[in-house]
Amino acid sequence: METKDILNIIRKGNGKAGIISILENIQERYAYLPEKALRLIARETGYPLVDIYGVATFYKAFSLKPRGKHCISACLGTACHVRGAQAVVDEFKRQLDLAPGGTTPDNEITLETVNCLGACALGPIVVSDGHYFANVAPGDTKDIIQGTKDGVYGSNGNAKMYLFPIEAACPQCNRSLMDSEYRLAGYPSIRVNVLAGEARGWARLPSLYGNFTRIYEHEIPDNTLVKFLCPHCGSSLQGKAGCMECNAPMATVKVNGGGGVVSICTRTGCAGHMLELNGAAA
Amino acid sequence: MMDVRRDKLASVDEFFAMQAQLIAHDDPEMPTIVISAGTCGQASGANALIRVAKGELLQKKLTGRIRLRITGCHGFCAMEPSALVEPRRTFYPKINPDDMITIIEATAKGDIVERLLFVDPETGRRIEREEDIPFFKRQLRTIIGRNEKVDPLRIDDYIRNGGYQSFAKVMSGQGPRFVLDEVKASGLRGRGGAGFPTGQKWELFASQKNGAAKYLICNADEGDPGAYMDRSVLEGNPHSIIEGMLIGAYGTGATEGIIYIRTEYPLAIKHLNVALSQAGELGLLGKDIMGTGLSFDVEIVKGAGAFVCGEETALIRSIEGRMGEPRQRPPFPIVKGLYGKPTMINNVETWANIPVIISFGGRSFAGVGTERSSGTKIFSLVGKIKNTGLVEVPMGMTIREVVGNIGGGPAENGAIKAIQTGGPSGGCIPASMFDLTIDYESLKNVGSIMGSGGMIVMDDKTCMVDVAKYFMNFLKDESCGKCFTCRKGTQRMYEILDDISRGKGNLESLDLLEELAVTVRDTTMCGLGQTASNPVLSTLRYFRDEYIEHIEKKRCPAGVCKGLVTYFISDRCTGCMLCVKACPQGAITGKKKQRHVIDADRCIKCGNCRDVCKAGAVEVV
Repeated sequence: METKDILNIIRKGNGKAGIISILENIQERYAYLPEKALRLIARETGYPLVDIYGVATFYKAFSLKPRGKHCISACLGTACHVRGAQAVVDEFKRQLDLAPGGTTPDNEITLETVNCLGACALGPIVVSDGHYFANVAPGDTKDIIQGTKDGVYGSNGNAKMYLFPIEAACPQCNRSLMDSEYRLAGYPSIRVNVLAGEARGWARLPSLYGNFTRIYEHEIPDNTLVKFLCPHCGSSLQGKAGCMECNAPMATVKVNGGGGVVSICTRTGCAGHMLELNGAAA
Repeated sequence: MMDVRRDKLASVDEFFAMQAQLIAHDDPEMPTIVISAGTCGQASGANALIRVAKGELLQKKLTGRIRLRITGCHGFCAMEPSALVEPRRTFYPKINPDDMITIIEATAKGDIVERLLFVDPETGRRIEREEDIPFFKRQLRTIIGRNEKVDPLRIDDYIRNGGYQSFAKVMSGQGPRFVLDEVKASGLRGRGGAGFPTGQKWELFASQKNGAAKYLICNADEGDPGAYMDRSVLEGNPHSIIEGMLIGAYGTGATEGIIYIRTEYPLAIKHLNVALSQAGELGLLGKDIMGTGLSFDVEIVKGAGAFVCGEETALIRSIEGRMGEPRQRPPFPIVKGLYGKPTMINNVETWANIPVIISFGGRSFAGVGTERSSGTKIFSLVGKIKNTGLVEVPMGMTIREVVGNIGGGPAENGAIKAIQTGGPSGGCIPASMFDLTIDYESLKNVGSIMGSGGMIVMDDKTCMVDVAKYFMNFLKDESCGKCFTCRKGTQRMYEILDDISRGKGNLESLDLLEELAVTVRDTTMCGLGQTASNPVLSTLRYFRDEYIEHIEKKRCPAGVCKGLVTYFISDRCTGCMLCVKACPQGAITGKKKQRHVIDADRCIKCGNCRDVCKAGAVEVV
């Protein structure tokens, strides 16, 4: 299974940008570069293994060791350094009992240092699972570690803040898509029909903006392109925009009587979404 | 909609018609809340502001009356998260989600919220408009000022504000020669650091006829720690880079474009991807652009975290998928570059200046700045300074004006001692020389370089030995290892500096350091090695007394070098027990309302006690 998966990634990157982009794709999938993958790349591309290994160790973005579920990166850029970033890193090292590049024995957290994240005005900067912390002091490290372990800094974690409910309607027939009988996250759900290949069914989406729960009548595997349809008039909700995260087509519903539109990605597993207010439209 | 898909533009006239229509359909008087949401803004909480603003406008049914525009960085990073309300251009610094609700309520009524306005620290007066705030007032924001006008995810915003107009202008009857002449007349010099005249480079590249393919590369591998102006332009105005490259392609006959961007900039990569696909859909990239016969496309190649890849021959190898080791020049990439074809590499800020040059004309561009350094330059003003942020000023301004007037002086109570420019290839300039004008030559004369624009302010709490050691640690890690003198020389210099920082140095080691520095400079192949000595040489030149204090008195005057300092608690201690609880080693003892004591043997100098102390009683000597 894994071999097949790796081969798919290698063959997808049809040659031009070469080894680096293949390695990037493999690391994106596995969060590190397994030895098996390096050997397979050598076999498939015809480059000597030593060259592949050379590239994999030359660039800092690659890791030959498995990484933890969460990642804390502390910036050691010049601006962060003069504001005391080293003391912050030292404190992370002490608290986690890790050297930068290492992962906790329970495989929870990897600690990394980076040369510069480019948010220099706010240093020292620490990034946990994509969430940026500004002006970090050694005393803040404990809370950051705890929050990271609790998983509150990933995209779902952030979404807990400042959520608000919306009212959705079909952009074609204008009829409401709200289902107050079936509630999600405490609010009426948005009901649409869904088409995945030949399979038809319903889907329920939360009306709480920023919540990404999706309930499907029939289970649909991640990474499947689906079509959303209006349950009343049957028309496709497919809009014209592409998803900013993955470029898949987005489905669009009207919200709050036309005060705006919400687009959501039609690729299962992708959290891409966008609320456009009418006034903000081009 | 985010991007309403349209047919490709079939002619330059169609472009101008589309632009005219976009302008006609825009109501410039409509109240618009602009939220600065670059990486810095998001790190400071801009995402919450956006969410609150969207929810509030929807629920109060204000979406037809107040617009919302999400943009890249406005530059005043110290005041993030911030919002700007047009058309009055009211600036609200450091606001929270509740403030956003108040601002929306007031905006709906045509009011402003007095209490949330910027307060001038000197006069204590509130200032409403962005351009009246001292930080903005003294700048000339030709490039960075466009960030607040456009939502980087909407090509329409860019076009409405004059975007792609320079490109359309050169495509309506002006020949490639026109482009080359304008760029030459502008006097623009490479913004990546070395300052090579751009027009000359373009002319040389245009004359290359080695085979069918010719590559343009945008160097977005902004590797200098402490510099982030390129990120801000890439995130906030990605189309300006694409437009610059299109003009370059037409002027020089290039066939393909590549943006080489560092992987540490996820938001910039995302915005560039969206911008490229939008430009492609409109037919501004691809085959037979606007029916003019010009074919040009741009793709993104991500770096993988190697500082040396900012060097052009290393960058080319990295794009080719190999280890980023520089090679000997000549042949220069202009002659023999990517895949052996002629290749021209320009930095992000250089590309962003191209549409400006075409729009204003090369001659008027050359009228800004100094005779040999024309135009504006963006600096990232960071470190121990009050107004951290991105600052765009005409070349030739003095350091004092930038640091004192725009930067607002030292952060907290420190005294500014030096600035560091040019990243690891640059040097430190002492405060006594702040009347120096900022241009390529003057910075080089004092032992630093312009570099890509990092300007890191250092105060009396910054140790110059530590700064030199920091850069040498960086460089020894980032040296690709090809040249022996760079590989070993940076390593040895680091070791000597490390010894000095621990009080183990002697005066002879300073001579050795200088000798090594000169050898590394003179015997290495690429820019990394040739400039690696600058941080050492410039600090030795201007701050030798600090080195000597470390060596002779075993003392770090700034209180930074851990091996030479001790923490102790002065009689300002109120006995609040905060530090006792904060100490991870249990090294602090004391009772309530009695002065606490640090056990120097157990102290690991982590600084937690100093952070938590409200009385400022923890001292470092």
